[in-house]
Amino acid sequence: MANVSPVLSIVRDEPASAAIEVAGLTHVYDGRDGKVPALTDIAMTVGAGRFVVIVGPSGCGKTSLLMMMAGLRHQTSGTIRIQGRPIDNPDPERVGVVFQEASLFPWLTALDNIEFPLALRHAPKAERAERANQMLNLVGLQGFGARYPHELSGGMKQRVSIARGLVQDPPVLLMDEPFAALDEQTRMTMGHELLRIWSQTAKTVVFVTHSLTEAVYLADEVLVMSARPGRIIGRIAINLPRPRTYEMMATDIFGCLRDRIWQQIRKEG
Amino acid sequence: MTRFQLIAIRLLLLALVLTAWQVLPRNGIINPLLLPPFSDVLSTLWEILGRPQVHEAILVTSAEVIVAFVIAVPLGAAIGVLIAEHDYAGQIFKPLLFYVFSVPKSIFLPMFILIMGIGFQQKVAYAAFSTLFIVIMSATAAVESVRTDHVLVARSFGATRWQILTRVYVPSMMPILLETLRISMIFNFTGVMIAEMYASRTGLGYLIANWGENFQLPQLFAGVILLAVVAIAFNEAVRVLEHRVSAWRT
Ligand SMILES: Nc1ncnc2c1ncn2[C@@H]1O[C@H](COP(=O)(O)OP(=O)(O)OP(=O)(O)O)[C@@H](O)[C@H]1O
Ligand SMILES: [Mg+2]
Repeated sequence: MANVSPVLSIVRDEPASAAIEVAGLTHVYDGRDGKVPALTDIAMTVGAGRFVVIVGPSGCGKTSLLMMMAGLRHQTSGTIRIQGRPIDNPDPERVGVVFQEASLFPWLTALDNIEFPLALRHAPKAERAERANQMLNLVGLQGFGARYPHELSGGMKQRVSIARGLVQDPPVLLMDEPFAALDEQTRMTMGHELLRIWSQTAKTVVFVTHSLTEAVYLADEVLVMSARPGRIIGRIAINLPRPRTYEMMATDIFGCLRDRIWQQIRKEG
Repeated sequence: MTRFQLIAIRLLLLALVLTAWQVLPRNGIINPLLLPPFSDVLSTLWEILGRPQVHEAILVTSAEVIVAFVIAVPLGAAIGVLIAEHDYAGQIFKPLLFYVFSVPKSIFLPMFILIMGIGFQQKVAYAAFSTLFIVIMSATAAVESVRTDHVLVARSFGATRWQILTRVYVPSMMPILLETLRISMIFNFTGVMIAEMYASRTGLGYLIANWGENFQLPQLFAGVILLAVVAIAFNEAVRVLEHRVSAWRT
């Protein structure tokens, strides 16, 4: 974390407040049976501290896009800048990732799973434990640190996964359908929890989901993608006040916003 | 059922078998020339345990088993990981290995004798050879049991290749690898026995084969008991090792 300050001092011609800038991004997979165009000409800017949700039909390239923003996959062409600098390789100081399956290591306890990123950097044991415990409290799992993943419910596993994504305090958090495997009730609770965590940590979040309700409930802005090859075909600002409440879901505005997103997706399909 | 009851029942069964072994040949229900009574076998066992020739055989057999194991397991594991990790190597070698694996290894024994004679080296080489394939196959399966999403998570947190190997691959593969240790010990021990029984001048396998050929049945059965004890000792040793290694996992 010692080399965080030079990053902050780099201010280019782009507005300093943009955490993520994607321009002219295109990706073509070299699949088994020929080339698969997955993404075409994606351009998007996410301001620092914003919560942006991406929706779009299955297979339109949402996961691919997130992987590229995380530096886990190289795009065919185009640029991605995170915190003002291109991202060519995974950089846990800038980007944390939360996957659809919680993907916890079954041989580690919840606490050790959260410590994992710090252990990779050989952080001192005491610092690791303190930091991991803070994260455990943040996600509301105090007292569960010694449990193994198989002893946790689906929702608890995702909480651990979020804590692990945040443990290095990256300014950007990428989340690929993190709650898709959960039941409806748990899913709503987790959405609410995520907003609480987000408001306490001031992260920039990019969140992929198939649930339009979830999208409207969470987002400052929803980006709608077309079917493959994915393009961004709509941007819908969600100007609902914060903190969001469950009651808002019953309001007309909420319904209208959800409808507008649905129309955009349907037009494409 | 309590632990105590279980042990009691097991001991009871053992006692039953041994009593039958004692009583049936004594009363002539079974020909004592084919199955000597248990007490005769025990006294023979006591007698042969005093022979220097038997001491040497136990030492030689144990040494062969240990050396072959120490060669076959790491070598097989390394080959298995390489095959699983390299697409080309996998495509070339996997089918070949699969076919060789399905062939009984004992048909290669005469070749080992032709090349290496019938000494210690040949026993070790043949036993290691007959163990290698099961280790390779298991190691390949162990690598394939590593979940890609776990590797992806580690990569997203900036893990180096070495860290991915030690912190994701090794713990993911551990359950299968530990299982493999025990199975390979069985293959390994069998390999040593077959080689000794086929052509040798010493070792437990040689003694047993020899006693059998000379119709020395009390010695033969005593030898079998002795061998069983040695084999169980090796299996238990591997189990202790297994517990040691898996202790850090839980
Ligand atoms: N490694 C790969 N090789 C070839 N094609 C791939 C590869 N990975 C993904 N694709 C293809 O690229 C397209 C986009 O995949 P991606 O997983 O990014 O979609 P997605 O929007 O996340 O879908 P979903 O909503 O179902 O999760 C899909 O059509 C997929 O088949
Ligand atoms: Mg996806």
